[in-house]
Amino acid sequence: MNILLMMIPLSLAFLAGAVWLFFWAVNNGQFDDLDTPALLPLDDAPRRDETPP
Amino acid sequence: MCCQGCRAAAEWIEQLGLSDYYELRTAPAPRPDTGDTTHDSWQDADSARHVIRDLGADLRETLLLIEGVRCTACVWLIERSLGAAPGVVSVQVNAVARRARVVWQESKITLPQLLQALSRTGYRALPLDAGGLDDLRRGESRDALKRLVVAGFGAMQAMMYATAIYLGAAESLDDSTRNLLRWLGLLVATPVVLYSARPFFTGALRLLKAGRVGMDVPVALAIAAVYAASLIEAVRGVGEVYFDSVSMFVFFLLTGRYLEMRARHHARDLTDALARLTPPFAERALEDGTFTRVGIHQLRVGDRVRVAEGGIVPADGVLLTERCRVDEALLSGESAAVMKRRDDSLIAGSVLEDGPVLMRVERVGADTALAGIAALVGRAHAERPRLQVVGEIAAGRFVARVLILTAITAAGWAIFDPARALPAAIAVLVISCPCAFALAVPAALTRALGAMARRGVLVVKPDGIQALAECTHVLFDKTGTLTEASLSRTDLRTFDGVSHDGALRLAMALARQSRHPVARAIAAAYPDTDAAAVSDVATHAGAGVSATIEGRTLRLGRSDFALAGKQLAREFEDAVLLADDRGPIAAFRITERLRPEACAAIEALQARGMTVLIASGDANSKVAAIAARLNVGTWRARLLPAEKLAWVAELRAAGARVLAVGDGINDAPVLAGADVAIALAEGSELTQASSDMVLKGGRLDAIVYARNIAQRTLAVVRQNQRWALYYNFSAVPLAALGFIPPWLAALGMSLSSFVVILNALRIGRGDATPRDAQPEHSRVEPFPRPTA
Repeated sequence: MNILLMMIPLSLAFLAGAVWLFFWAVNNGQFDDLDTPALLPLDDAPRRDETPP
Repeated sequence: MCCQGCRAAAEWIEQLGLSDYYELRTAPAPRPDTGDTTHDSWQDADSARHVIRDLGADLRETLLLIEGVRCTACVWLIERSLGAAPGVVSVQVNAVARRARVVWQESKITLPQLLQALSRTGYRALPLDAGGLDDLRRGESRDALKRLVVAGFGAMQAMMYATAIYLGAAESLDDSTRNLLRWLGLLVATPVVLYSARPFFTGALRLLKAGRVGMDVPVALAIAAVYAASLIEAVRGVGEVYFDSVSMFVFFLLTGRYLEMRARHHARDLTDALARLTPPFAERALEDGTFTRVGIHQLRVGDRVRVAEGGIVPADGVLLTERCRVDEALLSGESAAVMKRRDDSLIAGSVLEDGPVLMRVERVGADTALAGIAALVGRAHAERPRLQVVGEIAAGRFVARVLILTAITAAGWAIFDPARALPAAIAVLVISCPCAFALAVPAALTRALGAMARRGVLVVKPDGIQALAECTHVLFDKTGTLTEASLSRTDLRTFDGVSHDGALRLAMALARQSRHPVARAIAAAYPDTDAAAVSDVATHAGAGVSATIEGRTLRLGRSDFALAGKQLAREFEDAVLLADDRGPIAAFRITERLRPEACAAIEALQARGMTVLIASGDANSKVAAIAARLNVGTWRARLLPAEKLAWVAELRAAGARVLAVGDGINDAPVLAGADVAIALAEGSELTQASSDMVLKGGRLDAIVYARNIAQRTLAVVRQNQRWALYYNFSAVPLAALGFIPPWLAALGMSLSSFVVILNALRIGRGDATPRDAQPEHSRVEPFPRPTA
């Protein structure tokens, strides 16, 4: 059972890492628009600059 | 507030100025706007004018975006708290859109005071403004995603440790390991309860403050009770822990909320796009002739504004420059260039084709025609989907009963065996599954929206799904919907020795000004590099186009319109004529081709017992021919838009539920008047935003598919709700009697939610393998992105 003492902290570390990574991704806008990026390669025309807010 | 008495008491407290007590009491909930500063900025006439609509006679209207609206109880609370404020005339709240439409008397109350009253009940409100809406939505969506994923990870881990405990109970697990697993469960479940589940707690607090039980109260209570009981057991080191159940519980509820949020944002896209069509900045002319860049809300009536070529008109106004050409497709659906002269009016949101021009601002912000349209569409969207409302009421009623049952269980066991009171009460809370109720509608709706989008049907209003499933009659527009127009040169006859090319050149120049399918067919028959210059363009709905070319006034369209009363041989009665004031120049015979899927689509609709009708503005003979080809018995020809609408009204009065399908050119009123409307994507943006669904790519057979999906959706929602009811009916009494061990309670709760989700996933399967998947259909962008 001693292996548990290593595996459990390892799983918790993985968990924390995964959550941190995901938060980072969300905060950097990776999930804001899930539809458009898939279509961008199909768009031949150069992207227009967005209107500044 | 439960009754008039409570309300009077609360109002009294408020009048005494003690309402700050409530502000302070909600300290656990994060309150970004406890100060009055945010509201006071609306006192400034500049900002306020942008969001307030003047209804005349002292009445003002505004659309508020309210954060934290969850269920019908919140709606009730907001309606009451705002409605009680002096001077408020009406309050309409939509939980799904999270918008409140408030009408008040300016002399009695101001916008900042209204916002103040609202924030006192715990809701944060923003007067609607396109930019703010975007940020808010992005924040909400990111927040929800994070909470969901934390709950998901937490639930997985908690489940892992719990499984070890459950399996260990059968094997021999020593006490120290078991304790370790309990503490680990606590470790992973704590962020789930404290972070992921926080929306439930804040929502519940808000409801409790109002003395009301909504969906959030029992949910929050159950989460808190299960977590607290498990915590106690973990510390004591005996008994059962439910960390896995509580995490799963939070995860499933958040899933339902997340799906609902996605569907809500999806439906909002169309109206938001409307509101965003005005640019955020404008170039205002100064006294000395230079220009300065100002925010659009700083524009005032009387300002002179410069608009660059290709720019968007920022406000309604009149043209000060000699002439320009403007694209008003947004409003009329007629693409390309309307000629404007000095003193003609310009409409906010239309695109300038040549420029720059100078204009004088006449109406700004919420007074513009564009804002009026957006408000109209927004009002249509502010009606909650009926499915959702019914689902929420069922869930709310259910959780309230579960709470009562939990109390009875605890009390009962306290009499017979106090030691088992807590475990049994917790088991009831855990196994009863409002998640299944909460997930039933959003899961099914989301799945239906996705399935339809894959086949090119974009759902604008989720209510349309129910109406589509129940409709009995389908009313098709003919030209542009059932048929595509085409013109070949042999179909052309000219008069008075005009050459074919000369006639075509003139006709093309006129036809380019219209989006009507016939006009497009004519325009396509001549190379547009050699276009004649046109001026004074006017399009006449249902009749044709007129314009001045090389000094001649020309008309292109129906024979009676083009000839302006003059007679011509009968053989030209149904031709498209080009004429000037002296008489006809050319006659076009437009041949119409049925859309390839029209026959099959109509046959399929009829096979499903629907009555198919054709309403057309075209000549009798043509409509009759098409109707015969399609095997449609009932049709009417030579109808004006108003007559089509009257027909729809007549059908509805006779008890029919009418689905109207049109391209949105000349038939916008019909689409608006039907029970459910499907607009073809070629039509105007306005029509698309005001219809229930938009058909991309003109594939009529997708209508049949969409109807199948809609019916399937309704069936699945009913199955899901019935399942949730049966499951709870059978499980809860057993738990109350103490027969359910913790692992079974956790399993039952998650399984019942899984069944609901899996059942919803059946929507759009089977018959749903897209024959030719067209990925661009899944993209929701019916509006061209304006360039500024």
